[in-house]
Amino acid sequence: MEKAVMVIGGGVAGIQASLDLADKGLIVHLVEKTPSIGGRMAQLDKTFPTNDCSICILAPKMADCFSHPNTNVITYSEVIGVEGSVGNFKVKVLKKARYVDESKCTGCGECLEKCPSKVVNDWEMGLTTRKAIYIPFMQAVPRVMTIDKEHCLKLTKDKCGNCMKACKRGAINYEMKDQVLEVEVAAIIVATGFDVWDPTPSTEYGYGRYPNVFTAMEYERMINAAGPTHGHIQRRSDKERPRKMAFIQCVGSRNPQVGHPYCCAVCCMHATKESMLAREHYDDIESTIFYKDMRACSKGFYEYVERAKRDYGVRYINSDATVQENADKHNPIVVYDVGGRQQSEEFDLVVLATTLVPKKETAELAKLLGLKVDEFGFLESSDRILGPGRTVKPGIYLAGYAAGPADIPESVAQGSSAAAKAVEAIAQAGG
Amino acid sequence: MAEASQAQWEPKIIGFLCNWCSYAGADLCGVSRYQYPTNVRAVRVMCSTRISPHLVLDILKAGADGVLLGGCHIGDCHYISGNYYTEKRVRLMKRLLEESGVEPERLRLEWVSASEGEKFSKIVTDFTEQVRKLGPSKVKKDEKLRSRVAAADDASETFRLKALVGRELNLVNKGNVYNNKLDPAELDRIIDSATEEEFERSLILELSMSKPRSVKELGEIMEVPTDKVLRHIVALRQKNMIAMEHPEGFTPTYKTIVIGGEQ
Amino acid sequence: MIHMAETKVNESEKPRIGVFVCSCGSNIGGFVDVPSVADYAKTLPDVVYATQNMYTCAEDGLSNIREAIRKHNLNRVIVASCTPRTHAPLFQATCESAGLNKYLFTFVNIREHCSWVHMKEKDLATKKSKDLIRMGVARARLLKPQEEAKVEVEPVGLVIGGGVSGMTAAASLADMGFPVHLVEREGDLGGFVKILNNLYVTEKSAAETIKPLIEKVTAHKNITLHLNSSVKSVEGFIGNYEVGIAPKGGEEKKYKVGTIVVATGALEFVPEGLYGYNQYPNVVTLTEFEILCRKKTLPKLKSVAFIQCVGSRGQKMSYCSRICCNVAIKNAINIADNYEDMLGVMEKQGTLVDKIPVEKKATEEILERRRRRRGRGTEGEGDAEEVKLGPSEKIEVTVFNRDVMAYGVEHELTYNKAREKRVKFNRYTLDHLPKVFMEDNQLKVTYFHETLKLERTMPVDMVVLSTPLVAQPDAGDLSKMLKVPLGQEGFFLEAHVKLRPVDFATDGIYVAGTCKGPADITEAVTQGAAAASRAATPMAKGYVQAEALSSVVDETKCTGCGTCIEVCPYGALRKNEKGIAEVIVAACKGCGCCGATCPEGAITMTNYTDAQLLAEAKAALQEEV
Repeated sequence: MEKAVMVIGGGVAGIQASLDLADKGLIVHLVEKTPSIGGRMAQLDKTFPTNDCSICILAPKMADCFSHPNTNVITYSEVIGVEGSVGNFKVKVLKKARYVDESKCTGCGECLEKCPSKVVNDWEMGLTTRKAIYIPFMQAVPRVMTIDKEHCLKLTKDKCGNCMKACKRGAINYEMKDQVLEVEVAAIIVATGFDVWDPTPSTEYGYGRYPNVFTAMEYERMINAAGPTHGHIQRRSDKERPRKMAFIQCVGSRNPQVGHPYCCAVCCMHATKESMLAREHYDDIESTIFYKDMRACSKGFYEYVERAKRDYGVRYINSDATVQENADKHNPIVVYDVGGRQQSEEFDLVVLATTLVPKKETAELAKLLGLKVDEFGFLESSDRILGPGRTVKPGIYLAGYAAGPADIPESVAQGSSAAAKAVEAIAQAGG
Repeated sequence: MAEASQAQWEPKIIGFLCNWCSYAGADLCGVSRYQYPTNVRAVRVMCSTRISPHLVLDILKAGADGVLLGGCHIGDCHYISGNYYTEKRVRLMKRLLEESGVEPERLRLEWVSASEGEKFSKIVTDFTEQVRKLGPSKVKKDEKLRSRVAAADDASETFRLKALVGRELNLVNKGNVYNNKLDPAELDRIIDSATEEEFERSLILELSMSKPRSVKELGEIMEVPTDKVLRHIVALRQKNMIAMEHPEGFTPTYKTIVIGGEQ
Repeated sequence: MIHMAETKVNESEKPRIGVFVCSCGSNIGGFVDVPSVADYAKTLPDVVYATQNMYTCAEDGLSNIREAIRKHNLNRVIVASCTPRTHAPLFQATCESAGLNKYLFTFVNIREHCSWVHMKEKDLATKKSKDLIRMGVARARLLKPQEEAKVEVEPVGLVIGGGVSGMTAAASLADMGFPVHLVEREGDLGGFVKILNNLYVTEKSAAETIKPLIEKVTAHKNITLHLNSSVKSVEGFIGNYEVGIAPKGGEEKKYKVGTIVVATGALEFVPEGLYGYNQYPNVVTLTEFEILCRKKTLPKLKSVAFIQCVGSRGQKMSYCSRICCNVAIKNAINIADNYEDMLGVMEKQGTLVDKIPVEKKATEEILERRRRRRGRGTEGEGDAEEVKLGPSEKIEVTVFNRDVMAYGVEHELTYNKAREKRVKFNRYTLDHLPKVFMEDNQLKVTYFHETLKLERTMPVDMVVLSTPLVAQPDAGDLSKMLKVPLGQEGFFLEAHVKLRPVDFATDGIYVAGTCKGPADITEAVTQGAAAASRAATPMAKGYVQAEALSSVVDETKCTGCGTCIEVCPYGALRKNEKGIAEVIVAACKGCGCCGATCPEGAITMTNYTDAQLLAEAKAALQEEV
């Protein structure tokens, strides 16, 4: 039998791990929960500190990963059971019914126009709607449609059936059933990534209450040309574009009171990038970043922040901040203090750098796999100094944000590192 | 009318950029959104050392207003020593441009590393302005100038100049077959005088291609003393590159020997 | 995906060119009139198909290319989008999957070289895009299909540097089954870490912590250790390097290796002339302080000041060194917890015990707390108690900082713990640098209190300067030997900051650890394993395909003068038995120096011929039609 490895999670860390393994001649089963691989990086507009277009640099890797002769990319699927040990894991994968035949669908999108349902679009952070049959984003891999069975009129009420009529290739199949695949692998890499914490419970920021308070991921989608507003920054209250924006850092993080005492490690740079992009879109836009410590501490990061100050006119204020609202125009007011004196300032729009938390499902997955999670839900390495990415279970390795805050290059390095460990384990087992 | 077209004229600049440093620097410049004028059209090559004088002179002959060469910083060449030769060749190119009458400022060599995006934008902005000040290339309209550029191009392809520039690094660093190391300044002088000679010889061949010319006539067109022209003709006749035509009266004329009818 | 057999383009066949113009979302489309550019492309000679895509690199863009190749019988493909430096392989692979030789693909860069640099001049940017495509068409018409040479890869690795990242890389490659040469110029393995006191807030000494790794590397049957040795020469190319390794003062021996990992580490910046360093006795660097602690030779102290960002972040060095805040915090906690254990023998025997803050009986409890991984107990007991255990009022630790870089989970919680232990964190700015001076035989620090807007002076017994990691001074030598680049700060420059963090642009050479920039031990180890994975790939595969970019000698023109042999930096040319030049294709890297030099014009470059370059350049001079 050819040696195989399972990678759980198709974000940039999982993609890198898969490519490293597949290039070495191993078979890779990449299990991704959503309909497309790409993960969070595919959702970003640009990446710091080069302002490279995120999807542009990721798309080739996604395509490469999907079409590699040694990979088997199983999207819209979840791991539901694991038995065995290193060298001989038996993994049960639930392949959810897509109701669309992947081999027939070309992603042409004609069905989209005919679908009457409107569903909150998670990919766009809820800023817009999608149809019940959908493709999460334009560069999705595989480029096939998925029917969301909870919102499909045909599947819920046995009405409609428009998409089947619209599809010239006969790709729609309402009879499709969930399948359970059994896969044998020698090693497993877990790279399930992060979620964005909902800041509604932290009422001091007014998210959910004040319309013009956004989360950083919402803003990221807004400023993305392929996003819901086609790259225009818009206030929720009046669709006007802001001229004065505030970015508030460490919302829900570095804050033991709400249970996230850790630092997310990427938001300082993220906010800096977002304010630079704003200025690139509109010459007259002014951004202010309220921060605790400006953690710009990787290669070229400090210089990036200095450039934001110098060339993009970004103002940095070292202070905690909370948000109130001038109800007249729905203008958020940021309350902060400098030198022990409380101050307030009105803005058109506020962006909150909310905590990035491990995916909820990661805890369940950890239980299935017998892995340890820390008190915040991050997967724990068995030896954090000499064996980062190794776990208490031989043959199971970690990569990416699921194992703790990491930016893109760190996640990529961890993906490669996990691949190395899987190959070591297989070689040691006499494979 | 002429003034109107002058006002609308935009410099046309060809950039030869090496893949590893200057092209990458230009990429970074784009990624960082440093803005610059739209006049440069880049041609990617693997290394700046690929750019022979012929490529540059031929482009200038074809009417380019400027040529920008971009390479890695000395010492950083992806191909170890490629840019060293580039530097030497650019020196030769500039000498030949001087000889031909084209402003050497139309050619610029710059080192841009993969991390110098901003520098790239500054160089393009600056060079575009420099070429703008020089005005449109006169090569297309001025036939005499064109034949001089053609001669410069031919001279750059001569065995003597190519071998001298190609062997310079070894001559200076390792010495010749007799183990005599050459003083770089001395070698530059040798190359300079060879450049002048080869240019003048190429120009004689260029001018005598279409019709036979007398020494006096050549001297006048070339603005070179007749005794010097005569010496060149003697050398060219020895190499069987030029032939004496039937003298008209007392004045011998010379015509370029075209091999295989190619030229 | 079905890979069709590659069809050869008959060289006499007329070019049938397809042009795909990418909008790249709004990255190009926002600044260039893409539809008019695509329309224009249709008018160019030999162009039989031209279209625009929202994202040519997305799967639908790629299938558009494949379909068009088949449907319109294209024998040349041009994509006008971003940079060939990242995307050429993708489009070339797409062409190949549709049966078109990848050397018949032409890339036109209208993003980095056009839309992004002419964001405010849509008309001119559009005109330039058209010019660039016209140039691409001129080039494409002259392209010829090429075949690539397959080169075998020697399944032996070389790791340069025996610090933690180098050892991790070597151990990983060895565990994967590849023989590895590990070269370390010092007599011991362990690099920078071996001289430190401890790593993170752990009980174990640093040496104790990395001992298992050193033992593994030393004992591994697949690892050949070259201690006290350095790499003297590197020749060859991916899969086939010949590396000269010599022990100090000894003779160089040659080894054949397939891939190379560079992990040469970094040094601590020496703050000569800053904050009284080398001027006052008790001013030390962070690493020197750790050594004092490790050797248990601390003088008696009542007050210690750490000054962060000494010489970094826009001062002597422009960058942030990433690790110093966390190292300082660790040391601050060490002082708070273990001050007594680190005292010199004399101090211990003296009468200072009553001044020592941490009660002896508390040690066990401290140990207990430290065994739990994080500072915050979940059961709610503790915080108040912890303060009691911290430094007493008698020992004061102050960290003067600009921003505390306690990123992530571990570092931030350690930072919190330090604050719970009453370590003071005072922020300063570049406008008000702290000053260190001696007054009445007492070391003092003056600083600007940002909240009170007042200058304050405090007496201290010791000042610890947190200086940045700096590149090895001889990194340049290795950089030249391997032909891999250094960035502006002298650290090695990876192929792509985001997606290729441990690769060099040159295939076959990889990078890990602090030689590419400051990193903590976890990151350095991760990079070591990552570089091992990357380096193992060509070895596991057993071969690489060499790009068809080499010199070609026209035997009829060559006179055997030998100038090309002199200029070739790779020894890729030799004289054959007929006395004329011959190219060793596997060794040729395609720089073109020989071609530009050849006095007879007998050498040209595959895929970069004079005719192609001139056609491309001259097309730019034509007026748009």
